[in-house]
Amino acid sequence: MAPVIRLDKVSKRFGREVALDQVSLEVPPGVVFALLGENGAGKTTAIRILLGLAEPDSGSAEVLGLPSAVKGLEIRHRVGYVPERLSLYDWMTVREIGWFTAGFYGNGFLPEYQRLASQFGLPDGKKIKGLSKGMRAKVALSLAMAHQPEVLVLDEPTSGLDALVRREFLESMVDRAAAGQTVFLSSHQIGDVERVADIVAILCKGRLLVVERLDELKARVRQVTVTLADETAPFPELPGTILFERRRGRQWQALVRDAEAEGLASLGGVAGVQAIEARTPSLEEIFVAYIQPGRNTDLTREGAGRHD
Amino acid sequence: MFFDVDPSNGVPLYEQVVRQVVYAVAAESLNAGDLVPSVRELARELAINPNTVSRAYRQLQDDGVLESVRGTGLAVAAGAMARCREARVKLLQARLQQVLIEAQQSRLDPGELRGLVESELAGMNRREV
Repeated sequence: MAPVIRLDKVSKRFGREVALDQVSLEVPPGVVFALLGENGAGKTTAIRILLGLAEPDSGSAEVLGLPSAVKGLEIRHRVGYVPERLSLYDWMTVREIGWFTAGFYGNGFLPEYQRLASQFGLPDGKKIKGLSKGMRAKVALSLAMAHQPEVLVLDEPTSGLDALVRREFLESMVDRAAAGQTVFLSSHQIGDVERVADIVAILCKGRLLVVERLDELKARVRQVTVTLADETAPFPELPGTILFERRRGRQWQALVRDAEAEGLASLGGVAGVQAIEARTPSLEEIFVAYIQPGRNTDLTREGAGRHD
Repeated sequence: MFFDVDPSNGVPLYEQVVRQVVYAVAAESLNAGDLVPSVRELARELAINPNTVSRAYRQLQDDGVLESVRGTGLAVAAGAMARCREARVKLLQARLQQVLIEAQQSRLDPGELRGLVESELAGMNRREV
């Protein structure tokens, strides 16, 4: 199936700041795709380029087969988009902004908007100005979903929202995905992403470090803790690729990728190894391992009181 | 029955859903013929990806725990209880093995370990009475 969203070697700089560096990714239809990254990693820039709101320095972007650089208006009309910073007409009421927006869409828009608004418990006659942050976010989401878009693009949808509203947002996203729509979201709320995403991408300082199905990523990465019998014994060779490691005294903890279970189990028999423990890390631990600048931390060397 | 999942506890989400259904059937809080929530309903309730729920349900169907009832959805299969009780024993066995490995690594000798198990069991019985 043709991808719904595509970035091909997209780069963008703001002055000396590199926002995106040769980013390529594809989002197949019907999935929940989550772009993870710290603040300033380039998530919003990627979304703005996709929607034709910003121009890349090089590379190309496409949504629903339309090139973002020239068809931005049509793309924005066809997708549902909730930006990180909402801009809603403050002086309109919840009902009025629905009428207003319905003017740009077909007949089905208004009843669907009203259904969503009442489902979210939005007060019909109240002005946007007087709504709480969570309520405003719900108005924006209702507006974005009311034309039943094939693609929903959400930039940091749950940041700054209280637990209850966040949960409602997640439920809506899940529901859209269950109805076969594609959801593209950026987030630094890793717990939320861990619940809802099919595919995750990790963006760090403009570079894409991973794009992978979440279940595969979690199945492939293990956290291994090796304990040595005494401090002089050498640490054994670990199978797989080491993403992150740290040492403290006789212990060595590493996040390894693609290590075979037998390979890990056989380490238990290596001379000098007292114990070996392997577990599945959380997405948060994987995320931190990937974006860690040094990746290798020797806590022994940093710690005081130990001299060789 | 009620579901409750924890995305970061190391057990894959679909597996958590599978286990909870298995335990519920084994404990008779779900009986043969009882319907489970639809994929969309459960995905929404738990705020997890619908594909995760489908995958869990597929596995439960493959394992003969659930069967599709035409036009209505998925229901607990006849004879699922025996299978689930068996599966429950296997799951507990695996957990117990982990504990035993940990005990071995912490140099507990078998005598101490048995003593520990006995005193925990006695403690549980006292609490139940």
